[in-house]
Amino acid sequence: MAQIQLKNVSKNFDGESVIERLNITIKDGSFTVLVGPSGCGKTTTLRMIAGLEEQSEGEIWIGDHNVSDISPGKRDVAMVFQNYALYPTMSVRENIEFGLTNRKIPKVERKELVYEIAEIVGLTPYLSKKPQQLSGGQRQRVALARAMVKKPKVFLMDEPLSNLDAKLRQQMRMELIQLHKRLGTTFIYVTHDQVEAMSMGEDVILMNKGKVVQQAGPMELYNEPNSMFVSQFVGMPPMNVMSIEDLVTYSEDSWSFQQQGVSYIGFRPEKIKLLKAPSTSGFCLNCEIINRETLGAEIIYQLKSQIGNIQGKSYLTPMVNEKKVYVEVEYSDLYYFDKDGNRISSIIRTEMKSTLTAAGEKTS
Amino acid sequence: MKSWPIIRPYVMIAPALIVFLLFFIYPIYYMVYLSLHSWDFISPTKDFVGLSNFQQLLNSSEFAKVLSNTLVYTFGTVVFSITLALFLALWLNRSTRIHRLAQTAVFSPYIISLASIALLWLWMMDPDFGLLNWLLSLVGIPKQPWLTDQNTALFSLILVAVWKGVGFNTLVFIAGLQSIPKDLYEAADLDQSPKWRTFYKITLPMLTPTLFFLVVTNVIVSFQVFDTVHIMTLGGPVNSTNTLVFNIYMHGFRFFNIGYASAVGVILLILLAIMTWLYFRLLSKRVHYQ
Amino acid sequence: MKLLNYLLKGLNWVLLLTVILIFIFPFFWMITTAFKSFSETMMFPPKWIPDQWLWQNFVDAWQSGPFLHYYINSITVTVSILVLQFLTVIPASYAFARYRFKGDRFLFALIMITLMIPAQLIFLPVYLQMSSWGLIDSLASLIIPFASSAFGIFLIRQAFKQVPNELIEAARLDQASEWKIMWKIMVPYAKPTIITFALFSFITHWNDYFWPLVMTNSELSRTLPVGIARLRDIDSGASWNLVMAGNMLLVVPILVIFFLAQRHIIKAFVYTGVK
Repeated sequence: MAQIQLKNVSKNFDGESVIERLNITIKDGSFTVLVGPSGCGKTTTLRMIAGLEEQSEGEIWIGDHNVSDISPGKRDVAMVFQNYALYPTMSVRENIEFGLTNRKIPKVERKELVYEIAEIVGLTPYLSKKPQQLSGGQRQRVALARAMVKKPKVFLMDEPLSNLDAKLRQQMRMELIQLHKRLGTTFIYVTHDQVEAMSMGEDVILMNKGKVVQQAGPMELYNEPNSMFVSQFVGMPPMNVMSIEDLVTYSEDSWSFQQQGVSYIGFRPEKIKLLKAPSTSGFCLNCEIINRETLGAEIIYQLKSQIGNIQGKSYLTPMVNEKKVYVEVEYSDLYYFDKDGNRISSIIRTEMKSTLTAAGEKTS
Repeated sequence: MKSWPIIRPYVMIAPALIVFLLFFIYPIYYMVYLSLHSWDFISPTKDFVGLSNFQQLLNSSEFAKVLSNTLVYTFGTVVFSITLALFLALWLNRSTRIHRLAQTAVFSPYIISLASIALLWLWMMDPDFGLLNWLLSLVGIPKQPWLTDQNTALFSLILVAVWKGVGFNTLVFIAGLQSIPKDLYEAADLDQSPKWRTFYKITLPMLTPTLFFLVVTNVIVSFQVFDTVHIMTLGGPVNSTNTLVFNIYMHGFRFFNIGYASAVGVILLILLAIMTWLYFRLLSKRVHYQ
Repeated sequence: MKLLNYLLKGLNWVLLLTVILIFIFPFFWMITTAFKSFSETMMFPPKWIPDQWLWQNFVDAWQSGPFLHYYINSITVTVSILVLQFLTVIPASYAFARYRFKGDRFLFALIMITLMIPAQLIFLPVYLQMSSWGLIDSLASLIIPFASSAFGIFLIRQAFKQVPNELIEAARLDQASEWKIMWKIMVPYAKPTIITFALFSFITHWNDYFWPLVMTNSELSRTLPVGIARLRDIDSGASWNLVMAGNMLLVVPILVIFFLAQRHIIKAFVYTGVK
């Protein structure tokens, strides 16, 4: 059992609070991704789990052990660093072996383990080379092998793919997922890239300003964001959000939303339809297309409406060439947020029909 | 368990620190203490005499000579060595084989023991059979007394010091020259700056940090001159090459005038401290451009 | 125009050769003198090449004093200093590079100040101290004061600071002790700097004339530079062939090292000093 728990963990750097009362449970054997904008505390959290950073308050549990005061080497974790942190003065073999030597594992056994791991990651021909002689992808594999050989309870990875080029990164992503499946060990993976988080994570923990904003599976995170922050962090391009006050100018009836505490309305770019005539069946905005990014299968439209700029994305549909268009969004695809950006999911989406149409009508 | 990480750094530093405290820091204090006492190294008591050692020293014509010898030696060595090194650096800063060979040749005396060099030059400066007088005779100059005459002895020591030290200064200047970005020169060329102006406006100002560094380190080393004096002249003839460190040595080890010798040491300490202070002053608001 | 160019080039060559000669010829002069007979040194104009190469001069020089002792002493002193410096400088550099602790800046500044205190300034009080410990005229008095080096701490601390933090963290996760991190990760990483410093230290102490002169007063505890300088006094002086033969005993090892590791040595003396 290697479930990981952070209980009321706080971290201060020079009196400045970076993480405050963090409570996280990471399921045994899961592939959990810590994601968030830079400075959100995700790396600090990972380093506290590793023991490289001491928490200012709270407890960290790995399995049934409180590891809060245990040195990093004894926590039974392995880490893959962003720059790999391979020992430049040691050969690939010595790099992989180093942790085993320190654990005083007998030589014969060590040799076997190193050989076995080298086979798995395809490094056997390079065992006596120095890291400087290897390519980026090979170094990455050495870093992985060095972590794997210790058979740790937990794998920690700090943006391990960010130094690879796009193609190799794609390939390594798949390899990591497969590796996780084979080992069945808990993986904790830190990244700032939401695409990486969504594509790899079984469980995604989205952090911001030292707090967990939402912890969920990738699809739930996409479909049911619990706040405006999540809705805009997940998805590419991010969710369009407009303030209800801007809408009020065009629709007196939107006042009734305000009564219910709605401050913002949002919808995803990929949920829009571009129409030549105003729609009667959904939320509708009168827009002007100011730019088209033609990516091939997808087209991203930059649209200007009277309540601000929005983005739209179409998939496998012919390009819209008109300058003026009507943007339609199904009412069921709308999201509502209160003044603090928290999601209001109690409002039933279809109720809004008439008033919002009016908003669209009036702009025309 | 928890206290070990706190003590650890101190334990790691301790061996080195003890050496420095025992053999560098404490002796400074002890020297100042001794300079205020009268002691002949044998008698069991050291008598406190206040500043009388310093009084004696300031009234002594020998000390005036010693101090002026040291300053003249320092001035001569530093000016000759650094000027020459600057010319050599500008000239030799090329990467062809012969230029590199010349760099190595110029530097080679620097790593040889000063004792060897003193003996070698003592031989070359031999008034009767020495190489230098033969060279002079080739161009019709009569034999010179070199170290055996009080008018030429100090100059001879300066010559040896310059020969030994100029290579170091040259290579430091070359390192300084090479750290000047090439594009500055290219920009100057595009601005049609003549060579001398480029040197005056770009090279020289960019070299000032190096120059300061060299002046200060050369001055400090010259203040401490001893080996050549001890091997080549023993301070003579007639005190014409008696310098501060040699004077401390003589009073301490030959005349057993420990208090007086320490007082001379304190004067040297003050001179060194001024140079060091000057160095850090210049360093802190240092004229640097990068 | 072309002719002028050639002339200038030729002149440059001549001048370069002159400069090289000025710095190399004295060594040549030392070598030929070392092989001359006594009467050949007493000639004016001087004789360049001896009629007979007298290897006997080296034997005579060697036998004129306890040269075996000088040699052994020089090697013992230099090697002991290097070993002790290695043992004291590396942990101290490591502590200053890696840990923040109370008084770290003060202690570092204190050590750096000693860089500015030359042996020529403090030899008298140190001598008196040594004599009160009964260490005068012992090899210990030549070794212990240099058992550590402020310059070394300065250089190696700098090199240790270059080691990426991640590397140390990876080692900690690999269950390496601090001791192991120091010797297995940091020291190999800083190897070039350590070698550079070792060369510097070796040459400095091998060449040192002043300290052994001051601290020793019997033949058996002297080192090579002091011993050779005393050759001048045999036969009431001026046996220059013997003096130069002895001189070669001191110079040749250094010249060989310089020849083998020229680049390292220039780096050790010049480039490390500049920064």
